[in-house]
Amino acid sequence: MSMHDDEIQGASRRQVLKSGMIAAAGAALAGTPAMLIGRRAFAAEPAKPAEIIVRAWGGVWVDALDQGVSQSFTEATGIRVRHDLTEDNEIQPKIWAAVAQNRVPPIHVNWDTSTNATKSALRGVTLDLSDLSNLSQLLPVARPKGLEGWPIVNTYSYVYVLAYRTEAFPDGAPKSWNVMLEPRFKGRVALYNDGIGFHPSAQVAGGGKVSDIPGNMAPAWEFIRKLKAQQPLLGEDPDFTNWFQQGEIDVACTIISNAREAKQNGIPVAWTVPQEGAKVDTDALWVPKGLPENEAYWAKQYVNHAISKGAQQAWTEKLGLPGVQPGLTPPADLAGDPAYPTTDEDFARLISVPTPVLVEHERDWFQTFKEIMQG
Amino acid sequence: MPRPSRTAYPLSWRLLDAAEAVVGAMRPKRPEIVVPALFLAPAILLVAVLVWGLAGMVGDSLHVLDTATFLPAAEASLGNYAQLADRPIYATVIRRSLVAGVIVTAATLLLAFPYAYVMVRTSSSGLRRLLLIGLFLPFFIGQVVRAYGWLIILGNKGIVNAAITALGFEPLKLIYTYETILFGLVQYMLPFAVLLIAPAITAISEEMEMAAASLGANWWRGFTTVVLPLARPGLIAAGVVVFTLTLTDFAIPNILGGGTNDFAANAIYDAFFRISDAGLGAALALVLTFIGSTIVGVILAIAGAGTLGLGGRAGK
Amino acid sequence: MSAASTSPRGKRLVLWAVVGFDLLILALPTLIVLGASFTAGNIVTFPPDGLSLQWYEKVVGAYELRQAFWRSLWVAVVCTLISLPAGTLAAIALARWRIAFGRSLQVYLLLPFTVPLIASGIGMMLLFGRIGILGQLWPVGLACAVINLPFMIWAVGASVNGLDPDLENAAANCGAPPVQTFLTVTLPAVMPGVITGALLMFVLAFNEFLVSLLLVDARIVTLPVLIYNSIRSVITPDLAAVSVVYIVVAALAIRALDRLVGLDLFLRSK
Repeated sequence: MSMHDDEIQGASRRQVLKSGMIAAAGAALAGTPAMLIGRRAFAAEPAKPAEIIVRAWGGVWVDALDQGVSQSFTEATGIRVRHDLTEDNEIQPKIWAAVAQNRVPPIHVNWDTSTNATKSALRGVTLDLSDLSNLSQLLPVARPKGLEGWPIVNTYSYVYVLAYRTEAFPDGAPKSWNVMLEPRFKGRVALYNDGIGFHPSAQVAGGGKVSDIPGNMAPAWEFIRKLKAQQPLLGEDPDFTNWFQQGEIDVACTIISNAREAKQNGIPVAWTVPQEGAKVDTDALWVPKGLPENEAYWAKQYVNHAISKGAQQAWTEKLGLPGVQPGLTPPADLAGDPAYPTTDEDFARLISVPTPVLVEHERDWFQTFKEIMQG
Repeated sequence: MPRPSRTAYPLSWRLLDAAEAVVGAMRPKRPEIVVPALFLAPAILLVAVLVWGLAGMVGDSLHVLDTATFLPAAEASLGNYAQLADRPIYATVIRRSLVAGVIVTAATLLLAFPYAYVMVRTSSSGLRRLLLIGLFLPFFIGQVVRAYGWLIILGNKGIVNAAITALGFEPLKLIYTYETILFGLVQYMLPFAVLLIAPAITAISEEMEMAAASLGANWWRGFTTVVLPLARPGLIAAGVVVFTLTLTDFAIPNILGGGTNDFAANAIYDAFFRISDAGLGAALALVLTFIGSTIVGVILAIAGAGTLGLGGRAGK
Repeated sequence: MSAASTSPRGKRLVLWAVVGFDLLILALPTLIVLGASFTAGNIVTFPPDGLSLQWYEKVVGAYELRQAFWRSLWVAVVCTLISLPAGTLAAIALARWRIAFGRSLQVYLLLPFTVPLIASGIGMMLLFGRIGILGQLWPVGLACAVINLPFMIWAVGASVNGLDPDLENAAANCGAPPVQTFLTVTLPAVMPGVITGALLMFVLAFNEFLVSLLLVDARIVTLPVLIYNSIRSVITPDLAAVSVVYIVVAALAIRALDRLVGLDLFLRSK
């Protein structure tokens, strides 16, 4: 219900202004088109809307965005940020329809998976972000894959870890995804309800090779078929936190942030990257077409603020995810954790599927996964 | 309600006279056709909003998705319908919804009829009030919150399992099963069914039942041979409502199903929202609508007119 | 059937067993939600983890929730105002006259139930978007009227079946003109159905989340959509508290109805 009274932990007003100033200075030196925007921002800013609407995921996700990005944005600009908790999947057709029908889209900024964001970019409903002043500082991972320019910007990486209830594993962390098949976990295993993040891990756990994705995914489906016999629970982000809390499950493939949330709520939960590896992916921010010009400007400024160093530090620290600004300080509990990748070696241990492959094939994987699970 | 008052020619009279005059002046040539049509027009127009929206989906369903642009393909084809036939998951979810429709309808009618009967026949107005309030209150907290209530009650650490483990037994898996969904649906449908059955029972005169009893029929025979047949209009109406709403339900399978017990509506949702395939979702929605409407048509044909108010006079 | 169960005592036993079970399953989720709303903890559990009113404070203080509450009330009123005349007239027409293509019409009027709500929502979202009324609140009320219309028709239809045609004929024979007959004989006879139907439409629109989910956006979000979105994000006890607000509204509505017209009205056929 996004009613948060916690104190501001995010970037301070000073940080916001500083990052903006540095960017403006850099742009002036380089003489890029960003200079124009930078100048306009100081000379004649477009009229400020009273609020902008940012679509967000609930639970720990919206808390992190609010404390890390939105509050400091409001402080710096005076523009209120409203978080819309509509599902990412549900906002997508709404935006697509709005753009197709020349209507004002229902939100100003979409916080999306990079795969879904890329689909929207391909469909041509995203605004160009290439004039944002903070883009030039970002790590390569921030750049959209399989797209021209910057219709979207990736904001952090995350790993689909193997999360487990520590009581169920007295001898330490499970080594392999295969523990999900142990009879004692029948009915106590959980996955995302379309299997997102799990297909590549299942491919390796089922004896297949990452390089065979997407050509030959038979090992993945074989593994998932065996898992079906375990009567897994299928849900969304908050379900995992909930299920661990309510004692419904012992093992799950979920994003680290959900397991960390349960742990911080006092539930004995831990996570690991099994020997087969775990899928790493990114989320993105983008601004839909069709907004009034001044609102589009401030929506883009929100995105620019979200990728500034101060906001990145606060936002991704709360999520427990590595951001896209160089030199961020990892949260104390995650430094050195293989599920918090920062170096090339870290990423090499994980399974990375190129976004264009996901865009083209993920829907087939979802359908096949559903087919097995609903059978 | 205009009623004659003591003062001469009150406003209501004059209004009424004006209305009569207007109606009289408009007196159509063939009132037996025009008047019913006028009565029905608003309802027909309201449903037309739905049909209008549906018509747009017919067009959508004829274009497969182009995954290069995530736009529908330009040329029309039956590709989406072919996909529905080819992928067994769609037959599975439709079958699952149909079976649930039958079971939930039977169970709901069985549970609703005695409730409606007691509510109508009891001589205690306090009891009647209690039963009415018991019916209406859960109505107001909605399907979603109620379903989550069941998760708390039936969960691994829920009240029921707490009682079971306190007695020294292993906890039972009571949520995220097909049976839980059916139970949740029955609970959700119960108030609708009672409300639709109660007026039918009210219409049965108590003397009729007494007559049956005085002729030596025991209560069970009186019940099954007198009360039930006379209450048929209500039972059919309730049955059709419960069946169609179950067939197309989304929330309860979604919340109580644990992800592996999807109904057809959940598959439609997935097509539209999870895989961004509006054409496929539209095709599935149309197929489900066709199946539902056909079944309702058959029920109406078999049960005959007069069951749902249609041709009520002829049915008497 | 054994002798015991065929005796009048058997009848009472069987009836009461079922009614008792019904009452139990009807009341349980309500009671759980009620209990959970008073928890002092952060998780929705039963029994509650200590007692407090903190979640009520949070709900009362939440501007967005209050806004959403008033919007939902407005949607419910619009829905009731649209469906009440449409459903009442249709029900009377269906019962009084033999309608050509009556069965097809009946199937047509049932479309709101046979079209999955998720599809109705998408269809109306696209339609309303095309004609430029999406983003306003009244179309949400209109949509709720459309998808729940059969309830209104049948609630009234059930009382029309109990309407004695001779009464209308008698009124006409006594010289009552058609409008007066309609207002003084027909309408009062079907009033129980009209009131049942109106209450149903109001409650259903007040609670509708699936079609509304597609028709509202963050600027005009209604209470059930807000609850649904939040409940999927994270279930905190403030939702239980919101639900209790619903229950209180329900209790007040039922009480008002009881005072004004008497609850027995629902069960009277004439």
